[in-house]
Amino acid sequence: MKDKLFRDILPQVSKPARYTGGEVNVIQKDWEQAEAKMVFAFPDVYEVGMSHIGGKILYGLVNEKSNHLMERSFAPWPDMEEVMRREHIPLYALESFRPLGDFDVIGFSLQYELSITNILNMLDLSGIPLWSQDREEGCPLVIAGGPAVFNPEPFAEFFDAFLIGDGEEVTLEFLDCVDKNRDMVRDELLKQLARIEGVYIPALYRVEYKDDGTIKRMAPLVKEAPAQVRRRVIEDLDKAYYPDKPVLPYMDIVHDRAVLEVMRGCQRSCRFCHAGMVYRPVRERSVATLKKQAAAQLASTGYEEISLASLSTLDYSGVSPLVKDLVKEYGPRGTGVSLPSLRVDAFSIDLANEVQKVRKTTLTLAPEAGTQRMRDVINKNVTDEQLFNAVEAAFKSGWNSLKLYFMIGLPDETEADLDGIIELCRKVKAIGDRYSRRPVEIRASLASFVPKGHTPFQWRSQNSIAELDNKRRYMMREKRKNIKLSFHDSETSYLEGIIARGDRRLAAAIHKAWQKGCKFDGWSEYFHFDRWMEALQEENIDPGFYNLRRRDYAEVLPWDFIETGIEREYLIEEDEKAGQGISTPDCRREGCRDCGVCMNLGVDLQIKEGRADAVES
Amino acid sequence: MRLRAEYSVGSDLRFLSNLDMMNLMARALRRARIPFALSEGFNPHIRLSMGTVLPVGLWGKREYFDLELEREMSINEFVDNMNQSLPPAMRINACLEIGIKTPALMNSINCACYSFVINDRTEQLELWKARTLQQEELMVKSRGKKKNLDKNLRPGILKIEVNRLQDFAIIDIWGTIGEPLNVRYDELRDLLLQTGIDKETVGDIYRSGNYIRERDKYYTPLEKVK
Repeated sequence: MKDKLFRDILPQVSKPARYTGGEVNVIQKDWEQAEAKMVFAFPDVYEVGMSHIGGKILYGLVNEKSNHLMERSFAPWPDMEEVMRREHIPLYALESFRPLGDFDVIGFSLQYELSITNILNMLDLSGIPLWSQDREEGCPLVIAGGPAVFNPEPFAEFFDAFLIGDGEEVTLEFLDCVDKNRDMVRDELLKQLARIEGVYIPALYRVEYKDDGTIKRMAPLVKEAPAQVRRRVIEDLDKAYYPDKPVLPYMDIVHDRAVLEVMRGCQRSCRFCHAGMVYRPVRERSVATLKKQAAAQLASTGYEEISLASLSTLDYSGVSPLVKDLVKEYGPRGTGVSLPSLRVDAFSIDLANEVQKVRKTTLTLAPEAGTQRMRDVINKNVTDEQLFNAVEAAFKSGWNSLKLYFMIGLPDETEADLDGIIELCRKVKAIGDRYSRRPVEIRASLASFVPKGHTPFQWRSQNSIAELDNKRRYMMREKRKNIKLSFHDSETSYLEGIIARGDRRLAAAIHKAWQKGCKFDGWSEYFHFDRWMEALQEENIDPGFYNLRRRDYAEVLPWDFIETGIEREYLIEEDEKAGQGISTPDCRREGCRDCGVCMNLGVDLQIKEGRADAVES
Repeated sequence: MRLRAEYSVGSDLRFLSNLDMMNLMARALRRARIPFALSEGFNPHIRLSMGTVLPVGLWGKREYFDLELEREMSINEFVDNMNQSLPPAMRINACLEIGIKTPALMNSINCACYSFVINDRTEQLELWKARTLQQEELMVKSRGKKKNLDKNLRPGILKIEVNRLQDFAIIDIWGTIGEPLNVRYDELRDLLLQTGIDKETVGDIYRSGNYIRERDKYYTPLEKVK
């Protein structure tokens, strides 16, 4: 297999290093000796998949801490797929070059709703039935985890199991169960797996619908399946596994650097933010642990950059001492530190200056909305004053171009909010022009808001394509020098909105879209909106039912059975406060806001390095 | 201290681009804790310069890089440490200290030898060689950035050797690199196919060496360090 690949196949395709494996720090376990055999399958190309921290964690965890085995597989780029289909080469794992069908478990990472077609394509390339019910004894279990499985329902019929929550908590338990019961018939094995907390087996539930199309009830069919599937949570990140020897790719990947996960979760309570809701509470790593992890990763990889990752790194209570120590320790040998996202305040800029003693290129800040009213609606607790202070600090210290992130299509949005975005850009530019010799350039990136399950906006309607396009035209009606607006594709957001709040009935349309050739839907050059709309129509699905419809608080939502720990009453209250433009403070600053997570999941907010830096803006 | 190393790139790494190869080497230097010198300026980088680019798709028997160190280090220690941190498919074969004024690899390597493994060991190959070298023009379609132009390889082909072994033969072709005529391996392969070598018999292709040619003498970059 490998010989044929290297000799006949790879010379024909672009970027062949995607498909060769054999990287530094790769772990190839003995196939015969290993217990359960799992392949971590990422439904995008190698350079995207290899940038994902979750995959690195699971790969190291399974291979280093258990007798199970984990290999990797990624979606082949269309040119490679074509050659593979022509030459009858099944999708294979990069360690052993074995086809995916040889494994006990194929675990997909569902980072994004639109990667589902790539998953179907990868299963098809492996010769594995796409529908869970068509898989017979001996066929691998097809499972998924990741942020998009907090509403697993649109994908339910393609998967045998979903792992909900922190993967390092549940994966080994899952594999132990698979290995221990490998002689069991498939249906019995699935029942055993359903007993593990955080495991959802869709085949063990029945969903009934009302005449109006909404859900009447969803109930387990067997006693092993819990009515509510509770997400798994790591209690203490200092005790959790983190890889010291991540696989070092040969080719340039999207995030090609050592990564430290400084904390998990975020307590800022932005009402639109899915990750901010489903990964609560904040759990920090200590500076001591992170410094040890940095040393180990740099020694094993030789990376020249360390990135401090999390949902909001500047909120990490130890960020200042950590950055200073890392710069002092590794800077002299040319190894730098990077911050993936900055908070909108002057403290953040000072810290950015600390790490960016080098070239000052583009700085990115995310005010998210243009008016204070809208920022109160979405609970983005940033004031104009904080933003202007941050911008002033940035331009003063030599940055000369700035990128601002906004969303449009937010709940209760008016023209004044859109004007506010332009006005904000103008004011920011005026501050910049005061400090720079040349006129500064402001680039605003405008994403379209997509309501997600488990957030306070889960009942809200999403803007239609026409509404979004009107807003874009309105904002673009006059040209402004050195203020550039770029809008996300409204069709992509529209589709994302359908699937994000979809139910089991969407599966047929997803399958049909794949049959019509949809794949790599997250890549604009491969996105075919028309084919998706045809597929939905042919399956008699009204997309507006899923994305445009305002839901009632009493409605049973497809994802209600997934227990994130957050109380429904809290989400309702937050949605109502949004309507009134009342903001909710940060729970680590102002005390508990009763979202329910800590109590329901038996965990606690973990702030490891005091509060000073994290709190003061 | 400045040193020059000769290394091999195994078949498993033949699909790496030049940038990949440079990153690989820089990261191996960091893992091996080599006291490399860093450039001045805002964006410091390792003072490492690689020889000619190994084309994507080929493995290489003898490739070269120059490296500056910020302090003295024994050559043996350097080689041992590097070989422990390089991927298994890559090895440093030899290394020596060179003077600060030794011309850079990029400026001194002017020819390379490409080797074609041919699954045919008949006398036909000797005849092919004689016939080829007799030609005044050897026209192919150019490859690379300026594609599909008529290109005469003949002035760039310096030497051909045919080694007939037990089960197969190896054709070594020495070609000029850089200006005025850059002979590419894929153009040489096209030439072989155009001049009577059966496509089915062409097996592995690799670069067996890089040389500094002075008149009819070929020196390896390790021999020519003054």
